[in-house]
Amino acid sequence: MTTAETDTEVYLDYQSAKPVDPRVVEAMHPYFFEQFGNPSSLHLEGDRATKILEKCREEIARFIGASPKEILFTSGATESNNLALIGYAMRNKRKGDHIIISEVEHISIHNIAKYLERNGFEISKVPVDQYGRVDPKKLENRITEKTILASIGYGSNEVGTIQPMETICQILKNRGIAIHTDAVAAEGLVPIDVNEVPVDLMSLSSNDIYGPKGLGALYLRKGAGIMPIIMGGGQERGLRSGTENIAAIVGMAEAARIARDEMSEEAERLSGYRDRLIAGVLERIPKAYLNGHPTERLPNNAHFRFEAVEGESLMLSLKDKGVSASTGSACTSKTLEPSHTLVACGLLHEEAHGSLEFTFGRFNKESDVDRILEVLPGILERLRGLSPLYERS
Amino acid sequence: MKSTEYSEKTLDHFRNPRNVGILEGENVAKGRVGNPVCGDLMEIYIEVEDDHIKDIKFQTFGCGSAVATSSMVTELVKGMSLDEAMKMTRDDVAGALDGLPPIKMHCSNLAADALHAAIKNWREGIRPNQIDAELPLYVQKPCKPSETPIEGESEFLGKGVYNGADDYGPFKDKRVIVRDMGDTASAELAIELDKHTGRVIFITSLKEGEMNPDIKKQLKRSDVKVLYESELLKIMGQDEVEKVLVNDLDEDQEYELFVDVVVIKR
Repeated sequence: MTTAETDTEVYLDYQSAKPVDPRVVEAMHPYFFEQFGNPSSLHLEGDRATKILEKCREEIARFIGASPKEILFTSGATESNNLALIGYAMRNKRKGDHIIISEVEHISIHNIAKYLERNGFEISKVPVDQYGRVDPKKLENRITEKTILASIGYGSNEVGTIQPMETICQILKNRGIAIHTDAVAAEGLVPIDVNEVPVDLMSLSSNDIYGPKGLGALYLRKGAGIMPIIMGGGQERGLRSGTENIAAIVGMAEAARIARDEMSEEAERLSGYRDRLIAGVLERIPKAYLNGHPTERLPNNAHFRFEAVEGESLMLSLKDKGVSASTGSACTSKTLEPSHTLVACGLLHEEAHGSLEFTFGRFNKESDVDRILEVLPGILERLRGLSPLYERS
Repeated sequence: MKSTEYSEKTLDHFRNPRNVGILEGENVAKGRVGNPVCGDLMEIYIEVEDDHIKDIKFQTFGCGSAVATSSMVTELVKGMSLDEAMKMTRDDVAGALDGLPPIKMHCSNLAADALHAAIKNWREGIRPNQIDAELPLYVQKPCKPSETPIEGESEFLGKGVYNGADDYGPFKDKRVIVRDMGDTASAELAIELDKHTGRVIFITSLKEGEMNPDIKKQLKRSDVKVLYESELLKIMGQDEVEKVLVNDLDEDQEYELFVDVVVIKR
C-alpha cells in the first residue's frame, strides 16, 4: 500500500484561490481598528473613511488606466458580472434585447445569461477554435440589429487562452455595441489598459491579485449606463448600495499597487515555470496534450489532457504526493459535468474528464516544477496500468 | 424529439398511407431501394405520360417513418414533371411531414431515393420485371449508414463540409471529423489528415471488434480519436460548420461536438 508523502506541499491551483499577500494584510490592519468609520457619516471618522475610499478607488483606476469615477466596488467578481450584464441589459433593453457571450465564459456568465434568457433576452454564444480562442468573424456573424452587449472573458479561467480583445472591441465599437469583459483570470498577470482595450465594462476580483476574498470591482466606462441590482442607501453613486467594506477595499487597492509594480517581473518568472512544466510533461509522458493556446496563454497556466486516465484519480494521486492541482474546472466539478470550456474546445466528454490544470502564483518556486515532473510520470504510468482504455505499445 | 416521437402528420401517413399498391403497363417504371436485412425495403412505381408522373404507387416494408415517407413522397410528386421530381430531396419529404426524429432521418428516409431510382430506370428503359431479375439492384442500398445523407451536409458543403481532401491546406489547425464510409479509404484519409492538423476524429457505426484489424492498428498508432458505434446525425453552425450532433448507438445518447470541418468522402 502506498501512503501519502505530503512533507513537501506544492500548491498549483492559484486559479481557484490565492493567499493574501502579507503586505496587503498589513495595509488592511488599521482599518479594522483605528479607522473603522462609515464613509456616509458626516463626522470626523466618516470623513477619514471617505478619504481613504476615494484614494483606493484611484489606485484601482490606475491599475487599469481608468478614471476613478469609473470604478464601483462590489462583493466580488460574481457580483460584478451580475451587475454588468443584468444592470446593462435592464437599463438598455429599449435599444435591443440581444446579448452575445462566448462558449468559454466563466460559469457565472453562463448562468447570468440563462437568467436573462428566462427574462426575455435573447442570448447567442460564439464558438471558439480548438485553442479556446473566439473567432472575431464568428462574433461579427452573430450581431443583429438588436444586439446591445457582448461579454467576452479577457483570458480563460480554465485553459488560460487570452482572447484577441483589441480586434473584438474594434468590431463591437464599429457596430455601437457595448462590451463587457470578465478580466478575473487575467488581472495581475497581463497588463490591462482600458485605453488600449476599450471595453465598456470590466469585472475585477480582489483575491485574484492577492487581496482579500469578498471584494471585487466593476469598471464602468463613462457614458455606459447600468441599473443597480442591489438597492439600499445609495452608496457607489446609487449603483451599488451597502456600507463600504473599507478594510477589504484598502486590501484590494494595496494588492493592485503591488501588482502594478511587480507584474512584469512576476509574469516573466511564472511563464518560465509554465514553459518548463509544459515542455517537461509533453516530453516525459506519452499521449499527453496541451489544452488551450500554445502561445496566447496566461503566464501562469498549464493545462493538460492525458489519454485513458480520469482527472479526479490524477488529482487524488497528486494529493498523495502533496501536490494541489485542479481538474476540468473546480467550479463545475460539483455537477459532474465535464468542463464546458473543454467541450467548447472540441474535446469529447471522456477526454475532458482526463484533464489536469496547474496554475502558478506568487509563492511558487522553481523547485515546484521539479516536483511535478518528478511525480507525474509515475502517477500516469500507474493509473494507465489500471485503465482498460490505454493501449500499451 | 425522441427517437419514437413522430409528428401528427407522420402518424397520419403511417396509419392512412396514400397511393399504396403497384402499377402495370407499358408506361410504368419501378424504383427499389433498401435492404430487408436492415429492416427497410421500398418500391415505388411511376406511370409516365409526356415526361410527367401521371400516377404513382408504392409498397414498403419498414418502420413507421419508412411507410410515412413513402406515402408522402407519392403525394408530393404526383403530376410533377420528371425533372422536378428528380429535385425532390429527403429533406423535402421530412419537411412535408413536419420533421422526423433525427435518428430516423438516415435509416428510413429512403423514399426520395426510391423515387429517383424509378425515374432513372424509366429514362434508361429498364422496366419493372427487369429489376426483379437483377439482384444487384435489389440490394441497392446497404444498411451501413455510410451512404445515407446527413442533415446539413448540403447546406454546409464548401463551408466546412468536404467530400474529399485533395489539398490539406484548408484543414490546417482545424478540428476535423471524418465519417466512415464503410471502406478503408475514409479511415486512411483520417490518418493522413492527422499529419496535417492537430485534431482528427473518425466516426464509425462499427463496434471496435468489427473494424478491419489492420486499419484499427493504424488508427491506434496515430493520434486520431475514434468514435465507435456512433453516427453523425446533424451538422450545425451559423454560416459555417461549428458543431455536429453525434448519436452514441451503444448508450443511445445524443451529444454535440464542436468541430470546424466535416469530411464525408463521396
